[in-house]
Amino acid sequence: MLRMENVSKIYRTDLVETHALRKVDLHIKSGEFVSVTGPSGSGKTTFLNLAGALETFEEGDYFLDGHNVKGLSDDKLSEIRNQKIGFIFQSFNLLPDLPLFDNVDVPLRYRGMSAKERKERIEHALETVGLASRMQHLPTQLSGGQQQRVAIARAIAGDPLFLLADEPTGNLDSLMAQQVMELLEDINSKGTTIIMVTHDDQLARRAHRNIQIFDGQVSDIEKSVADDVIRSA
Amino acid sequence: MFSYNFHLALKSLKERPALTLLTILAIATGLGLYTTVKTMSYQSGQVPLAHKSKNVFLLQMDNREVTADAVEHQARMVDTTYKDTLNLMQMEMPGVKQTFNWSTYGILNVEDENINPLRTFAAVTNSAFFTMFEPPFLHGNGWDKATEESGEAVIVISKLMNDKLFGGRNSVGESVRINTHVLKIIGVLDTWHLTHKFYDRSFSRARPDNFFIPYSFAMQNGLPRRAGFDCWAANADIARSFRTENTERLINSECAWVTFWAEVPEEKFADYRQQIISYMESERALGRFPRELVMYLTNLNDQLAYVHGRNQFLNTFSVLATLFFAVCLLNAVGILLAKFMRRKKEVSLRRALGAKKKTIIMQHLLEVIIIGFLGGVLGIVISYFGLQGMMSIRLYSSDYTVRVEDVLPYFQLNWTMIGHAFLTGIICTIVASIYPIWRLCNVPPASQLKSQ
Repeated sequence: MLRMENVSKIYRTDLVETHALRKVDLHIKSGEFVSVTGPSGSGKTTFLNLAGALETFEEGDYFLDGHNVKGLSDDKLSEIRNQKIGFIFQSFNLLPDLPLFDNVDVPLRYRGMSAKERKERIEHALETVGLASRMQHLPTQLSGGQQQRVAIARAIAGDPLFLLADEPTGNLDSLMAQQVMELLEDINSKGTTIIMVTHDDQLARRAHRNIQIFDGQVSDIEKSVADDVIRSA
Repeated sequence: MFSYNFHLALKSLKERPALTLLTILAIATGLGLYTTVKTMSYQSGQVPLAHKSKNVFLLQMDNREVTADAVEHQARMVDTTYKDTLNLMQMEMPGVKQTFNWSTYGILNVEDENINPLRTFAAVTNSAFFTMFEPPFLHGNGWDKATEESGEAVIVISKLMNDKLFGGRNSVGESVRINTHVLKIIGVLDTWHLTHKFYDRSFSRARPDNFFIPYSFAMQNGLPRRAGFDCWAANADIARSFRTENTERLINSECAWVTFWAEVPEEKFADYRQQIISYMESERALGRFPRELVMYLTNLNDQLAYVHGRNQFLNTFSVLATLFFAVCLLNAVGILLAKFMRRKKEVSLRRALGAKKKTIIMQHLLEVIIIGFLGGVLGIVISYFGLQGMMSIRLYSSDYTVRVEDVLPYFQLNWTMIGHAFLTGIICTIVASIYPIWRLCNVPPASQLKSQ
């Protein structure tokens, strides 16, 4: 479903070249729950941005659902983000002046769906995250955990190929983090692929597979050995 | 998608009302002044008889004495003498119309005792005036050639005077008295919009005369010629005698006091011109036209271009208003940039969630069009008051010797200018928004989504 072959990303200024990712080879299959770990500055966010088609790269190929996204136009990348990827951010990134319903509606609007279909999807997504009764509330009227659940509802409403979660529990206390993690696991159990960047070892361990990034280089570790690696890290 | 973008545009306008208001004010102020000046320029640049102005010519023949100074421009050349006028009127050429006029004055009275006598001016002309210059008639008609030749006491009056003297009723058949002469009204003009009262070369005023009298009647009854005219040194005593309202001596003088016009189709222009030159040569043989033979046939377009081009005040003011508008637009660019860049996180999120660049551009263009529209409306209101102010200055600067009706057309907004202002407002606002929208659309989405 997601395959990177020799992907490299270099940030250039007049004086410095920074290799954010070096020759990444990676294959993530449909239905997997993958955690991405690594120290700060190792390239996790760059990896997530490339996987989410938010940034372009210089070398290698990135196949998403069988199609190479390298060299695609900005409009085409927008279409891919809209139709195939659901984003969950650490800081939720909800639009504060829109009710929950309208927040979840944003990606569906850009897909050009009919009002009826959008309404059905939004209601279903908010029901999935347990906030159907509060769809007319503003994000500021919710707790952090609830806001993140709205962000998850927004990410899954479009029925994407996979979810990209960037430290989804980073701004939450442990109880809320637990609830959010359970929600993600529940979504994954229904077949949605999830790629989650996290600093939390315990959460990383709950994924099927762990990808570690050090200094721009990716180590892909299967679940069986992932726990040992994380434990010894 | 359009309705969603429109909804977002409206929401965004309300989000930061102070910045929105500032942008609208910046555009409206610049546009208001710009439209004020452009309206004055447009209105004063309007060519009367636009459908045939290139074929309507003012005739000037240089009959001055040898010692007279050279003229700096043909627009400064003298008018025509009365004897030349009569001679030229005899030279008929098929398809060519000729008319002439001068101005007279007198005390006007009507039978209604409630109406006080007025000191008034009138245009003295021939029957071709009405066919050439096409004033619109409300009642009746102009006089015909036979009436003119018989020296009949008839008059055509303006709608303004018809309203004033006869309460707006059809006054054809009724009489007015100028000095001691009773003249029968045969026509009432409808409102006649002339941007420039070109026919007597007083281009600075817009309102035509209120009375039109046949020249034959005026000459037979010794109606005086109003205002100054060119008389050569040898004729100075004649000019002085004229000022005692004695036209008799003037008839055969070399004083140029008649404004002569010809409507000449393009294909006959060369022949007509040659005919005038031949006439001048034949008169020269009789001892007239002592200087090198110089004559001008200047069409209305060229005359107005000269008058317009010499309006230094309007030209300078135009440049200043355009510069001021440009500064206001630069200001609007700054405000829009600040307003839009505060939205970069939201836009980055929308881009991440699938909004294409063109969708973001459309959303912001709609917002800018609404701003431009509101700026246009406010700008038109400002320009309305600006024009009122400019008219007040015009009246004040003339010590109120000019009446509002004389200059009103120069300071009036019309639908063309309103449409022009709207379009200018919207287009300029769009242009002003290109850089802010471009900056906003090129913010890398990923750079904004990680931050708190």
